Amino acid sequence: MPTGSDLRRAISSGLITGGIMIYLVAVGIAPALAERQVITDYLTLGRLMLALPALAVGYLVAGRVGSAIARSASALAAGVVAGGLFSAALLASVALSPGIRSVLVRLSTGVLDFVGFADLGLEATGGALLMFGLAAGLALLGGLIRLAPGAVRRTIVGGAGAMLVVTLLEPFLRPRLLQWGFAEFDDWLYVAHGMTPISATSVFVVGAILTGVWPRARQAAKARVANADPGARSVMRWALLLVALAFLYTVPWLSGSFLTQVIVLVGFYVLLGLGLNIVVGYAGLLDLGYVAFYAVGAYFTALITSPTSALGWGLNFWVALPMVVALSAVVGLMIGAPVLRLRGDYLAIVTLGFGEIARVLLGSEALKPWLGGPTGILSVPFMIGDGKYSLPIIGEQSGAAATYFPLLGFCVLAAFVAHRLKYSRTGRAWNAMREDEDVAQATGISTVNYKLLAFAMGAAVGSVGGAAFATHLQGVVPGGFILLVSITVLAVVVLGGMGSIPGVIVGAFALIGTPELLREFAEYKLLVYGAVLVAVMILRPEGLVPDAARKAELEESRTDDGPLHGPEFDVISGDA
Amino acid sequence: MRRPSSIRPADVVLWALGVAIVVGVSVGAFATLSAGLLSGDQWRDLLIFGVSQGSVYALIALGYTLVYGVLFMINFAHGDVFMFGGMTAFFVADYFSDSGFLNGNPILAVPLLLLVGALSSMIVAIVLERIAYRPLRRAPRLVPLITAIGASLFISNSVRGLYGDSIKAYPRIDFFQGTWDIFGIPILKAHATVIVAAVALMAVLYWFVERTRTGRAMRAVSEDKDTAALMGIDVDRIIVTTFAIGGMLAGAAGVLYAIVYNQVIWSMGFLPGIKAFTAAVLGGIGNIFGAMLGGVVLGILESLAPFLLLSGLGVPSPNQLKDVIAFSVLVLVLIFRPYGLFGRKEGT
Repeated sequence: MPTGSDLRRAISSGLITGGIMIYLVAVGIAPALAERQVITDYLTLGRLMLALPALAVGYLVAGRVGSAIARSASALAAGVVAGGLFSAALLASVALSPGIRSVLVRLSTGVLDFVGFADLGLEATGGALLMFGLAAGLALLGGLIRLAPGAVRRTIVGGAGAMLVVTLLEPFLRPRLLQWGFAEFDDWLYVAHGMTPISATSVFVVGAILTGVWPRARQAAKARVANADPGARSVMRWALLLVALAFLYTVPWLSGSFLTQVIVLVGFYVLLGLGLNIVVGYAGLLDLGYVAFYAVGAYFTALITSPTSALGWGLNFWVALPMVVALSAVVGLMIGAPVLRLRGDYLAIVTLGFGEIARVLLGSEALKPWLGGPTGILSVPFMIGDGKYSLPIIGEQSGAAATYFPLLGFCVLAAFVAHRLKYSRTGRAWNAMREDEDVAQATGISTVNYKLLAFAMGAAVGSVGGAAFATHLQGVVPGGFILLVSITVLAVVVLGGMGSIPGVIVGAFALIGTPELLREFAEYKLLVYGAVLVAVMILRPEGLVPDAARKAELEESRTDDGPLHGPEFDVISGDA
Repeated sequence: MRRPSSIRPADVVLWALGVAIVVGVSVGAFATLSAGLLSGDQWRDLLIFGVSQGSVYALIALGYTLVYGVLFMINFAHGDVFMFGGMTAFFVADYFSDSGFLNGNPILAVPLLLLVGALSSMIVAIVLERIAYRPLRRAPRLVPLITAIGASLFISNSVRGLYGDSIKAYPRIDFFQGTWDIFGIPILKAHATVIVAAVALMAVLYWFVERTRTGRAMRAVSEDKDTAALMGIDVDRIIVTTFAIGGMLAGAAGVLYAIVYNQVIWSMGFLPGIKAFTAAVLGGIGNIFGAMLGGVVLGILESLAPFLLLSGLGVPSPNQLKDVIAFSVLVLVLIFRPYGLFGRKEGT
């Protein structure tokens, strides 16, 4: 049996979990996904969303040392508490319905029916009992998964992950399958919406097998690379690069027009993320007004390339681009020069102020003659031709696909520059400055100049993103340049790992791509970004794909047994 | 730390900026005043509006300053704590209005609303500190700031999800309709109430911080956390208390703000939050009296400046640029006087 403290822990975890489940319903996330079928007629994403916290709490609570029975008992206890709280809340809401809707707007009878399993013909009490039983059972299951050997755990997670991916990709995978002549496979995999029990099981099994095989296959591949002679290794590297390039080249053709739009959107955030990463990740300057550079790039491009703008020059995009980049770098320097003497948190707020000033000015009547006020500037020309061009093998590109190739080029270029900068003398100076500004200065690094350089570099990359964005939409409107863009880019960089280039790409796909795959979810995007920022900073400040130097730095600060607060006791820096 | 002897490009930019601002402000003000665009009564009304707006900013600013005093962090989510109070009190106000209590007995109902707002914001502030900030006490400075930004997004969008997307109209309180003549000056009742309530709350806070045992402990913690701990002060408890007090003031401010504007919405925390932060910096962050004064100064500036400066310069729809004024003040204060108008020059 679990000890007293374990039980207390299980109960409090259960209460928190119950609270999370109630929150997920009341805020509307779980009900929004209620229509999204995972396994038709059996499981929806909405129910899965409610099941996950229960599973997770069982898994976490069972992590304590102790006998297998004690650990599974704790998991069960947590589940019972969570389920009890949730069921009680459900019954209370049903009793208060429909009046409760005047406060908690999401709790319609439809939503309460969804939570209470009305589709199984259950009354409120029956539904609450079923929820209670499910929560307890799932928590126990989570606990048992934790008790299982590592290999089993991995396979289960792999199988479940495969099912989730196949579900998420459904709206994009189906038309592709039909187009390529896999209609029968499509019929087998998905019914109207969602998978069939048989196909879901198969996907689970395939996913589980792949996860089971993966570590061994990876090890074998690693061993072969390690054993190969240098010549063969370089051949392998080039082959890998070639495959990657071929893949990137065929992305628009493979993914179809809708998924290409999503990828292009992700691409813009990759580009912006790479730029902000230089400022935040390398130099350690928190810039909350990054959108200002994006806006400068977009508006200046629109001004000089659109024939209908106030300037009316109607330049070619590629002629305009160097001018845009140069101007933005200058703007970066001009904004940077006065503010870079400020301490980190003040700098963040000042840049936020600049971003907001830019936003208000863009849409204002005062600047309407030049920037077009709320309507912005229209008829910005395409980057290449009239938005249509032909490429070998994959044929004509138009719409988002036409933006894809130049944007890919910008991203690759930005990643290359960022990579080279990182391991250059400049990168090392930034690194030193970020870790300890005063020591860096004492070793002869001109911190002001390096900060300015970071600001200008970030501004230049951001402006390229803005320029591409203006041509992609063939116009600019002030509504696209709001604080949330800055914060979204920051979330991308933070989630991926500050200072990490692959991290930016992963972060952009996770934060920009996933919500596009879950259209029902769009309303909760910002909520999730907020939660991601908090959770990453607390649980994994180095991000998903950590940068080695940054990780070491953060770990040092975390395990540092110094005073509660650094600055006051920091004799060398002498501030505060 | 730096070489003050040599002239750097940054200083030149700063000087040029300073001169340009002084010239712009004087020319604009002179043009407006000499053209007599607004009558004396209109200026007075703008001023009163500014003071009432500013006293709300001051109440929120106190939360920033108190938290900064003990933790040296900018609680970016404080604006959303403010929003939550106004939002929760809305439902109670709605209920009171339906039952006739609100207009039947406003002397009792309005303080009750303030209490509801204060308590609900206090709870959010305490939970925020516990979940989002306490695990990060020793992290590098930017880490809690990023967390705070995330928390701000999370709180506002949770409220949006829970309570709905739409603007909610506060019930009309008959008591606040019309004006009072105070020293012969007609003042909108709502504005007068806001000013009086804010001043009363600030007086209570001042007494609390200066005269009570807990207040003394707060000051000790803000001076030096580790020594305070050695003196037997429970630092964690004091930090929570600080968040709670800041939250209560913000919640009350949320209700007052709603009374002036007659509406609440989930996104209403952001702008007053940033402006209150500006006010806190203006008064020297960490300085309680400074935050109060900074709030009022910012409120007046924001209310007068668009007309005083911009309309004189011939800028169309100057009031649209009200927020630009507030943000410019923020940027300029941080650049030229980061320790505030009343702060000591340190830690910059």
